[in-house]
Amino acid sequence: MIADAATGVALALRGEGDPYALSRTLRQGDALALAAIRVLGADALAPYALGHRAGPGGEDESVVREALAAYPPGVAASDVSVWSYRGLIEASHAFLNGGADGWPRPPEAGAGWIGTDPWPRLSHRASQLAALALPGLAPGLAEALAARTDDLSRGFVRAVRRQDWLQAAGLGRWLARLPEVPPTLGLDGGLAFVRQMSGGDARVALHVVAARRFHGRGW
Amino acid sequence: MITDRTAPAESVTLTAEVENLVDSAEPDAVFRDTRECGGGLLLLGLLLISPPTPRPKTDAR
Repeated sequence: MIADAATGVALALRGEGDPYALSRTLRQGDALALAAIRVLGADALAPYALGHRAGPGGEDESVVREALAAYPPGVAASDVSVWSYRGLIEASHAFLNGGADGWPRPPEAGAGWIGTDPWPRLSHRASQLAALALPGLAPGLAEALAARTDDLSRGFVRAVRRQDWLQAAGLGRWLARLPEVPPTLGLDGGLAFVRQMSGGDARVALHVVAARRFHGRGW
Repeated sequence: MITDRTAPAESVTLTAEVENLVDSAEPDAVFRDTRECGGGLLLLGLLLISPPTPRPKTDAR
């Protein structure tokens, strides 16, 4: 179901298929659909970032509220889980036009790891938060990651060499948003290579399409 | 009365799966450092081109 939802989002970002409606792909009341929204995070609402925003109080808003209520980060949740949850709330505020009322309060997410993690671990964590690379989301996180652009670039190359295409695509998407990516990295060709080699993985395709659509990177 | 005894267990399992998918462990893979590979190739090449170990002659004629 996650792959189907990711494919629907990627199609919408490419401008193909019917006009996107989250609640048509992932329906209310279905536990698996709500889980898929939580896993995709802000990406579940990515097509609305193109300007076709959903109206307030619609079914999309209801299904996102249900997902947020069903899968809040637990007491022992990791920083990545908290950031991802926070990203879904931020995206809801930004793209659903529903106002700030009635949404869960964004939890405080730890950010110490961004400055202290060794580059391989930082790269792994950042790639899992690639949905937050949507324009305008998590500006503080983006700024902190920008200070470690070289480390993320190393992580991109490492992920490609390990054939970890999902991590490579997530890192490539972050690098597409960051301002000072080394030109010697070959990010555009790298993203195309990752998409080609991933064998049609839906989440990889989503990251690559998002990097292209929102930041103009990749072929 | 029929009670669905599996529902809470499934819900807990699904919650755990969601957490695992949101923050999954890095898959095992091999990352080979170019310098290490170069060193390995050099060693292999030296072994291949090295002369054979001298053996004592066993010709008893």
